[in-house]
Amino acid sequence: MRLRRLVIAYLGLLCASLAGCAGSGAGLDSNGRPIGSEGSGGTLTADFQSIQANVFTPICSVCHAGGAAPQGLRLDAVNSYSMIVGVPSREDPSVLRIKPGDPDQSYLVQKIEGHAAVGAQMPLGGPALPAATVAVIRQWVSAGALPAAAAAASARLSVVAAAPATGEVVLAVPAQIIVTFSAELDRTSITPASLRLERIGEGGSGDDTEIPVRLDVPMGNSTALLVTPRGRLIDGRYRLSVSRPTGVADIGGRTLGFDAEAIVTTFDVEAGP
Amino acid sequence: MSRWRVAALLLLVALGAGVAPRAMAEPYLAIQQGYKCGTCHVNPTGGGLRNDFGTVFSENTLPQYSLPSGFPVWSGRVFKFLRIGADLRTSRSETAAPNLPSDRQSGLEQLRAYANVSLIPDRLEYYVDESLAPGNARPNEYYGRYSDPKHGWYLKGGQFYLPFGWRLQDNTAFVRELSGIGMTTPDRGFELGLELPEWSAQLDYSRGEANISVGSGHQVTGQVVWIHNDWRVGTAASFTQSVFGNREVEGLFAGRRVGPVALLGELDLIRDKGFPGGERRLTAALAEADWAFHKGHNLKLTAELYDPDRSVSNDQQARWSAVYEYTPIPFVQLRAGLRRYRGIPQNDLENRRLLFLELHVYL
Repeated sequence: MRLRRLVIAYLGLLCASLAGCAGSGAGLDSNGRPIGSEGSGGTLTADFQSIQANVFTPICSVCHAGGAAPQGLRLDAVNSYSMIVGVPSREDPSVLRIKPGDPDQSYLVQKIEGHAAVGAQMPLGGPALPAATVAVIRQWVSAGALPAAAAAASARLSVVAAAPATGEVVLAVPAQIIVTFSAELDRTSITPASLRLERIGEGGSGDDTEIPVRLDVPMGNSTALLVTPRGRLIDGRYRLSVSRPTGVADIGGRTLGFDAEAIVTTFDVEAGP
Repeated sequence: MSRWRVAALLLLVALGAGVAPRAMAEPYLAIQQGYKCGTCHVNPTGGGLRNDFGTVFSENTLPQYSLPSGFPVWSGRVFKFLRIGADLRTSRSETAAPNLPSDRQSGLEQLRAYANVSLIPDRLEYYVDESLAPGNARPNEYYGRYSDPKHGWYLKGGQFYLPFGWRLQDNTAFVRELSGIGMTTPDRGFELGLELPEWSAQLDYSRGEANISVGSGHQVTGQVVWIHNDWRVGTAASFTQSVFGNREVEGLFAGRRVGPVALLGELDLIRDKGFPGGERRLTAALAEADWAFHKGHNLKLTAELYDPDRSVSNDQQARWSAVYEYTPIPFVQLRAGLRRYRGIPQNDLENRRLLFLELHVYL
């Protein structure tokens, strides 16, 4: 009986302490990140950057981020655009996650409205997004689902993200290297020589080996470039770089803004035999 | 053929699927009774279709009132080699958050069908867990399992839920959301398991939910639980290799029965390199008490903590719940609950309140 009372008292104290542990929010933005570390939300508008800051980052990326993102869908600020626009849904591959110009046939819109062919309404376990928020997302899709205005207005094309990222050690041979750019690419500017993948020689010996690759711009998502090695990558350090003479350009004719080094990413493969 | 078998077969035909629903996974029942998960479920790691004992338990021990004598007994067994089941959940909820309009939702939450085919009795089985609604049908689990009853080990291959910590019915619990391993995220791979009287252990090699769209990478998950009649303690770990960044999760969980109260606790520590800004270290914790104060009645109290980045101060979130579960008759349960979220004051959704009422029908 004494043990029982003790355990129940312990649980009560634990509950009280846990429930009282919510952060004060001091020094943080509305997404719970240190002020200045990431873009703040501001008023929601039909612009990707605003939708990212007000919806995807604070609500969706609570689950859809990191190494356990459901359905492999990452909706953090770096990856979300390249993972939704023009990309087939995994739950229903016949429907694109975002089909530019057609919100009714966009799986993400269907999911947040609760009438997708498969699975539960998003956000899972949370309240449905307000109708006004859904309307803004619909407006963005109807207008072509363009990338962030700031990126589009930049004077130069830039690499937003690469996976594997620089410095990363991957323990399984990557089937593809994904490079996300700040604007839609001009497909005609992509040639087999636009990017070069090399295995760096041991100890910086300069004995680098070029790895043949295939370059693809996925249909419906022309901000991403898929780099597929034409053979299995063996263990070692790899460097992906842009070939300066040919390079990559966006549909506005802007080229990559590398000033000195044209390296996109450098990573290590340690997959073993 | 009994009426139950006819009804079950009609259900099969009507649904056009292999069989029945998602089982209720409530580890507090195992703690209150001193059972292992596999005592009541076909799956040794719990959840989903019930076995003979689990069905009898559902009919006689859980509900406040038993069915009248002479009423056909449901065993789940359609043929000697085939067992089926189903779960239906429908709910009504209202969410309120500061500065936001209230959100009311109601409707079918899930309809699942389960089937287990015994290809070689006690040796080789094939299991299916299919979601039938809402939306189109889709498989949650489908796997083959070869068991060695004499030595207690088994090998499972296919798509299934990974073992990690308490397999809670509430998939929105912080420990389930943060670990990324729950009953919304089946994975494809293999599981080697060992079931001994006081031990339960699993080692899994799978693709990893986050690697679905990438096509490479893998996840390794392991769990060991030491089970006694009044208490149990377990530890679990998972490592995901992904081109987007590796992820490590370690968990410690324990349960204790104190009279009619079952106490559960879990602590998960996560290191995730898949975030754009680099590595984050996250924490999720759960404390739960289930008080079965009368036959058919259970009061569930939970308190949870979530730290989305241990390197950032003042960003922690908490959640507490009070849920009343009433099982008046076999296979029918009513649930009513309140969940209160607490987070940083500048985020309204982190400070919401959820009221819900749920009807759960299961076979």
